[in-house]
Amino acid sequence: MPDGSYERPQQRQFNPYSENGGTILAIAGADFSVIAGDTRQSEGYSIQTRYAPKVFRLTERAVLAVNGFAADGNMFVKKVKQRLEWYRHAHAKDMPLRAIARLIQTMLYAQRFFPYYVYNILGGIEEDGTGAVYSFDPVGSYEREACRAAGAAQSLVQPFLDNQIYFKNQTPAPGTNHPTHLPLPDVLSIVIDSFTSATERHIEVGDGLEIYVVLAKGRSTQELASIGGLQELSTRAEGDRMFVIRRDLKKD
Amino acid sequence: MSIMQYNGGSVIAMVGKDCVAIASDLRLGNQSLGISSNFEKIFAMTERTYVGLPGLATDVTTLHEQLRYRLNMYTIKEERTMEPETFIHLVSSTLYEKRWGPYFIEPVLAGMQKTPSGAFRPFVASTDLIGCINFAKDFVVAGTASEKLFGVAEGLWEPDLEPEDLFETISQTLLNAVDRDAYSGWGAVVHVITKDKVVKRTLKGRMD
Amino acid sequence: MNSFADRFSTTGTAVEQRRIKEYVADEEDVSDSMWGSEAGFGTIAHGTPNFMVPTVPDPSAFLRLHTDDHADPSCRIKIKHGTTTLAFRYQGGVIVAVDSRATAGSYVASGTVKKVIEINPYLLGTMAGGAADCQYWETYLGMQCRLHELRNRERISVAAASKYLSNLVYNYKGMGLSMGTMICGWDKTGPAIFYVDSDGTRLKGDLFSVGSGSTFAYGVLDQGYRWDLTDEEAQELGRRGIYAAGHRDAFSGNTINLYHVQQQGWKFIGNYDVSEMHYNGPTGTAGYGYGVRVEGRSSANPPA
Repeated sequence: MPDGSYERPQQRQFNPYSENGGTILAIAGADFSVIAGDTRQSEGYSIQTRYAPKVFRLTERAVLAVNGFAADGNMFVKKVKQRLEWYRHAHAKDMPLRAIARLIQTMLYAQRFFPYYVYNILGGIEEDGTGAVYSFDPVGSYEREACRAAGAAQSLVQPFLDNQIYFKNQTPAPGTNHPTHLPLPDVLSIVIDSFTSATERHIEVGDGLEIYVVLAKGRSTQELASIGGLQELSTRAEGDRMFVIRRDLKKD
Repeated sequence: MSIMQYNGGSVIAMVGKDCVAIASDLRLGNQSLGISSNFEKIFAMTERTYVGLPGLATDVTTLHEQLRYRLNMYTIKEERTMEPETFIHLVSSTLYEKRWGPYFIEPVLAGMQKTPSGAFRPFVASTDLIGCINFAKDFVVAGTASEKLFGVAEGLWEPDLEPEDLFETISQTLLNAVDRDAYSGWGAVVHVITKDKVVKRTLKGRMD
Repeated sequence: MNSFADRFSTTGTAVEQRRIKEYVADEEDVSDSMWGSEAGFGTIAHGTPNFMVPTVPDPSAFLRLHTDDHADPSCRIKIKHGTTTLAFRYQGGVIVAVDSRATAGSYVASGTVKKVIEINPYLLGTMAGGAADCQYWETYLGMQCRLHELRNRERISVAAASKYLSNLVYNYKGMGLSMGTMICGWDKTGPAIFYVDSDGTRLKGDLFSVGSGSTFAYGVLDQGYRWDLTDEEAQELGRRGIYAAGHRDAFSGNTINLYHVQQQGWKFIGNYDVSEMHYNGPTGTAGYGYGVRVEGRSSANPPA
């Protein structure tokens, strides 16, 4: 350097990843599936937008929630949708849920050496009419589960869900059993409570909440009648039906 | 790996109606290896002041002895027991003395505070490892499972719980939180403090 | 099989081919097989699947920088770790036992992981290390084993299947794959276990344990292992081994999955909760934990 000091060696590296906060969550019922996510998108301490959807409708009976790096997430959803459309053209039907799950595994694993920084949760209705949730890691390992939280507040939400959905650490009264599947209204209130709690204690969670509800074919929609902010997404009244519930979360 | 996670362990305290509760796990580990399932981190400082010291196990013992010594000196000089609110300031100043070489402990305190009228009110507080006090109205958490504890407590806790309901709430919060933490668990202990008695219960927790 | 060395070489025919390919096709890895009836794994018709690799001088250093949470705890993509798996050969076949915990840092990401991969009715693979690596390549191995059956009108031997896998992962050596697996099965030669890992190691043996809790499992296995174990004794030993690891190792636990491989193929024995084993044991009468046995008698807990 001109002043006689030595210049420090400099190193640069390629960093194509960022982290955009937020949390997603899915719960499977006996004949329905609920997939939810908040809508805040942030980078560090800054909020980029208060409305960036993280939950996407894939087919009439499949919903995908993506969390992690938003750019990778949006690109991944785009590519999954493209592959599902090709499947529709080739087979004249929607891809079944378990097949979508395997497709997502292969698509994620194809990027094994340059991963999508995305945590995926797939929810919907299986061919046999049961509610299902599949959760994935960024390179495609997956598992079918009854409930799963992922993202910034997963460690806040998941133990709460263990307690409320799986009844972990709770002993049933003598002669009774814990229900294996919860009714829809209970699931919805647990989802809303989870997100209000996460919003309270995690800075990256808040602004808005989108809850997708997929109901198996022939199931009554009665339980949704009194829910505020409800919108139907299904194109046909017969078959499986899909709804979205939009709620506000605290914006601070 | 952080030295705060070297031995593992977590503590939580909650406010109820005319009562407080403080609970901790019983694990002492050496990183991933579990060593003891009988390591208590909650200590009775006075009859109605309990302090939980999660963090580095060697400092748990040292800090406990240090606090006990200072508390005894206060009791002898002042000829009265120390109130919880005073005690948390003692904890704070003790920790701040070691500002540049801290004890690796994040204390949690629960007690019944005497009011000027002679009645008692529930009091919980926590500090960071250098003594910054957090006076919370609802609950305080610390340790390797703190995030998980925050999440469950935020979902389960409600104001004005009676002692038995507070016991259930704090127990469920702790057990479910530590089950999602690799470094906490291996049994748990809960103290429910009311103005005239303290009930201590040992919980059967997951042993993995 | 396309070799990774070819893909990164800067001289030779592979480079020429790559240049032509890049010129002719666009940069997207979209093939005809991605749509139509071959979608998904149908791509095996064209050899091993293609992987997108970052255009940096050292792709594996790039991957390590962003995914390896041992080297750098602050890295973003957390790969799940921690496991205990065991398998041993004895007079009555092979016992395979695994835990079901997956951890990301100190967070228990899942307590219901299936760490035994059912390759086909005669072959099992265990999962330690990268969950996706094991799941993907052992599923892929299952397809290759089926093709072997169709081509040769006979089932693949455990030796051949495990060698196929070890050769496969050896092609990716140094690229960042992480797997420690035991390929277990029964073929013409009887019961067999092969340990295969992502370094390319492949070992034939009677008794293995893999993962962060393996030392605890070995402690139990070495104490109780005999060739002439009965089926019940062998299953109990496998269960007890995983319990020991689940108890002492912070990164193992939740539940035990137990499998038994016999001449007619593998059989799932059961799923056992580690904590339930500690307190009550498999029959609900005697727990594995010694807490109840020293109650009121040890120095830490003296008689009243």
